[in-house]
Amino acid sequence: MFEFKLPDLGEGIHEGEILKWYVAVGDTIAEDESLVDIETDKAAVTIPSPKGGTVVSLGGNVGDTVDVGMVITTIDDGDNASSAATPAAAQTRKAPAPEVEATPASAADPASTPRSETVKTPASAVTDPASTPHSASPLRVGPVPAAPATRRKAREMGLDLHMVPGSGPAGRVSLEDLERFAAGGGTATDAEEDLSASAGAISPGETGGIPFLEIEALPDFRRYGAIETKPVRSIRRKVAKKMTTSMILVPHVALMEEVDVTQLETFRRREKARREGQPGGHLSLLSFVTKAVTECLKAFPEFNASLDHFKGEIVYKTYYNIGIAADTPKGLMVPVIRGTDSKSILQIAADIERLGSAARDGKIAVADLQGGSFTITNVGPIAGKQLIPTINHPEVAILGMGRADEQAVVRDGDIVIRTILPVTLTFDHRIVDGADAARFMKKLVMLLSEPLNWLTEL
Amino acid sequence: MPLKNAHKFTVPHLQVLSEKGTLDKKLDPGLSETQLLRLYRAMTLAREADQRMLRLQRQGRMGTFSPSTGQEAAACGPMLALSERDWLVPAFRELGAMLMRGVPLHRILLFWGGWEEGNVFPGVERTLPIAVIVASQIPHAAGVAYSLKYRGEKDAAVVCYFGDGATSEGDFHEGMNFAAVWKAPVVFICQNNHWAISTPQEKQTGSKTFAQKAIAYGIPGIQVDGNDPLAMYKATRDALDRANNGEGPTMIEALTYRVSMHTTADDPSKYRDTAEVEVWKSRDPLIRLRNLLNERGLWGEEKEAALLAEIKGEIDAEVRIYEHGIEARSDIAFDHVFASPGVELEEQRAAFLESRGGGSTNA
Repeated sequence: MFEFKLPDLGEGIHEGEILKWYVAVGDTIAEDESLVDIETDKAAVTIPSPKGGTVVSLGGNVGDTVDVGMVITTIDDGDNASSAATPAAAQTRKAPAPEVEATPASAADPASTPRSETVKTPASAVTDPASTPHSASPLRVGPVPAAPATRRKAREMGLDLHMVPGSGPAGRVSLEDLERFAAGGGTATDAEEDLSASAGAISPGETGGIPFLEIEALPDFRRYGAIETKPVRSIRRKVAKKMTTSMILVPHVALMEEVDVTQLETFRRREKARREGQPGGHLSLLSFVTKAVTECLKAFPEFNASLDHFKGEIVYKTYYNIGIAADTPKGLMVPVIRGTDSKSILQIAADIERLGSAARDGKIAVADLQGGSFTITNVGPIAGKQLIPTINHPEVAILGMGRADEQAVVRDGDIVIRTILPVTLTFDHRIVDGADAARFMKKLVMLLSEPLNWLTEL
Repeated sequence: MPLKNAHKFTVPHLQVLSEKGTLDKKLDPGLSETQLLRLYRAMTLAREADQRMLRLQRQGRMGTFSPSTGQEAAACGPMLALSERDWLVPAFRELGAMLMRGVPLHRILLFWGGWEEGNVFPGVERTLPIAVIVASQIPHAAGVAYSLKYRGEKDAAVVCYFGDGATSEGDFHEGMNFAAVWKAPVVFICQNNHWAISTPQEKQTGSKTFAQKAIAYGIPGIQVDGNDPLAMYKATRDALDRANNGEGPTMIEALTYRVSMHTTADDPSKYRDTAEVEVWKSRDPLIRLRNLLNERGLWGEEKEAALLAEIKGEIDAEVRIYEHGIEARSDIAFDHVFASPGVELEEQRAAFLESRGGGSTNA
C-alpha cells in the first residue's frame, strides 16, 4: 500500500486546492499517469501518480484545501509495507457549500458528521486569550517537525514542542513560533489564515460557541427549481475569508457625511482638461480623496494602525499606503498606492490608473496588493448614494464613496445647486471612538470642500 | 569639422538548418552520420529526462528545478565541438550539455533533490557544477580560461553558459571584460530564451540583440538560431578555433525559447501569451534535426521508438540510483572546494563537527 502525500509544489507552499481528480476509488492507474490537478498560491499543476496500482482512497473532494504532507491518495501497489504515518498536522479542510450538496447524508445528520481535527487553535487564541497554551493539553503526539536549532532553543527555553502550535508545512515549529508561544501568543499563523481554516471546516449545526448562532444545512434548492453550482475559488474565496473574518472579529461602526465638492470639482475639471493625455491626466475625484485621506491619517494616526490581538497592542504605521478597491473580472482586488504622503495628486492619479488596469487585466503583481494601511472604495461611478463598507482587516478603517451629484441644498437661507459627495467612514470601534471618527471626518470635509484652504497645508 | 565614423560594427546572424529543413550547403559544418546521431540521441535524452524530472518534482520526489525543454539544441550542439580537454561552465538550464559531458543523470537529480553530492561528478573532469546564482559563473569561466592560458594549455578552452537575464548582472560585465582584456580562451554562450523569469527581453535590455554586447568588450558577438543544432555546433566550433589560436573570447547569443516554466515554482501563464509559446513549440529543435535524419535515410519510426524505449530504461535506472539514496554527511561542504583542503579548512571542519556533537553522518 502506498500513501501519496501532497508535496510542496512550489517553494514554501503550505496547501493547495483540489481542482480535478483524474481517477476514482477502484480505478487502476499507471505510474506517471495524471492523478489530480492542484492549485496553490503559485500555480495550478497536474500531479502525475508516483506509483502504479489500484486507487484505494482519495484524500479530498474537488474544492477541498489540502495541506502539504497530507495523504491525498492511497494506492494499492501490491507492496504490503505501508509508508510512514501521516504527519499529525496534515488535514483536509472541506470546501464550503458545494460539498454539502455532494454529501447529503452528513448534511442531513449533522450529529454523525465527524468534526475535523485541527492542531491549530485559532478560535481559543482569538476569543479566549485567558486560556494560554501553557495550560492546554499537548496539541499532538509523536515527533514534532522542527529544525535542530529550534529544538535546541526549545530545550533552552524549557518548552515541550508538543505544546507549541507550528506555523510551517505539516505544522513545523519555527523559532518565531517558540517566541510567540513563550510570549503567551498561542497560535502561530496569522489570524486571518487560521480563522478561514476553521470557517471552512464548520459543519451544519455548529454554533462556534456563540449563543443563538446556528448555521443550518442549506435546503435542497432543487425542490424549488433548477440550479447550478460553482465552487467558491481563488479571489472569490479570498474575499469571502477576509470579509467573514473582518465582520466577526471587528466591531464595525459607520459614520456618514455629505461633502460639498463644488469648488473642488470645478478646479478638477479644469485641470483635467488641461492635462488630458498626460499620465494621471484622468485626474479622478478619487485621487483627490486619496490625498485628503492621507492628510487625515497624518493628523489622526490611530486610523493608520492595526490592533495586534495576539500581543494586545496597537501597531501605528508611519507609512501611508492607500488601498483602492478595484472591480475586476475575477472579483474584488485592492491595489495599494504606496507612499501617498510623498506623492502629488497627479502621481496618485497615475498610480490608480496604472494599478487599476493591471488588476483588471489580471497582471498585477502580488506585491502591489499588499501592505495597505487604509482602504478607499468608490462605487459611485457605477451607482449608489451611500454604502457601508466592511473594514479591510487588519486595517482600522475604510472610506466608502458614493456618487457625487448635483443637489439642491440650503446655503445662507437660499436653495442653491451644489455638487455633493456622500462618504461613509467605517471604523474599528475597538481602537477608535465615534468622536475620533467625527474629528477625522471633519478634517476630510474641510479639505475636500475648501481646497483653497488645503493648499496652504501642503 | 565633420563627424566621422569612429568605428563600424555588424552583428552577424547564423542559421544553417532552417525551420523548414533547408540546409545551407556553404555553412554546413559537415557533421558525420555518427555525430548527427549522437547529437539527436543527446537532445532526445535531455528532453525525456527533463519531462521525467518535472513529473518527479510534481510527485514530491525531487525539489524545485529549472526545466530546459525546447532549449536542447543550444545545450547539446556546442558540446559536440568540445573535447575532453575543454571546460564546461554551466548555468542551470543546460541539462543536455551536462549529460553530454558524461555527468550521470542521478547526480543532477541529487542536486535538485537538495543533496550537496549532486555537485560532484565522479569520473567527469573539467565540468563545473550547476550555478544557480545568476551570472556568478561568468567570472569563474573567465578565471578558468585565464588559468589555461597562464599554464600554456593551448588545446583547451572554456564554454560558459548563462541566460539573457544574466547580462544585466555586474558579474557579466566583470567576466566579459576580464576575458576580453586578457584574451582568455572562452566561449560565452548566452541562451536568450526570451524570459528571465517573468521579465521579457525588451525589459531586460535596451540593446536590440544580446550578441552586440560583445562589441563593447572588443570581442566578436554572433547571434545564432539557438534551435538549430548545426548552427550552434558551427558557431561554437569557430569560436573554439579562435580561442585555440590565441584570439580570445567570443560571445554567442543563442536565440531560443523557454517553452516550459522558469522553475517548477513558476506559472508562466500569469505573464505571457500562450500564442507566443505555441509559435516556439512549432520551432522544436528535435523535430528539425529528426527531419534532417529522416531525409538522409538515417532515421525512421522504428528507430525512434527503439531510442525512446532505451532512453526510458536508462532514466529509470538513474532514478532508482537517486531514490536508493546516499549516505548523508553534514560536512560534505568541506570536501570539494580545494583539491587539498589545508589546515584552516580542516580546523573549520573539526569545529563544525564539534558544534554538532561530533560525528559526520546524519545530516
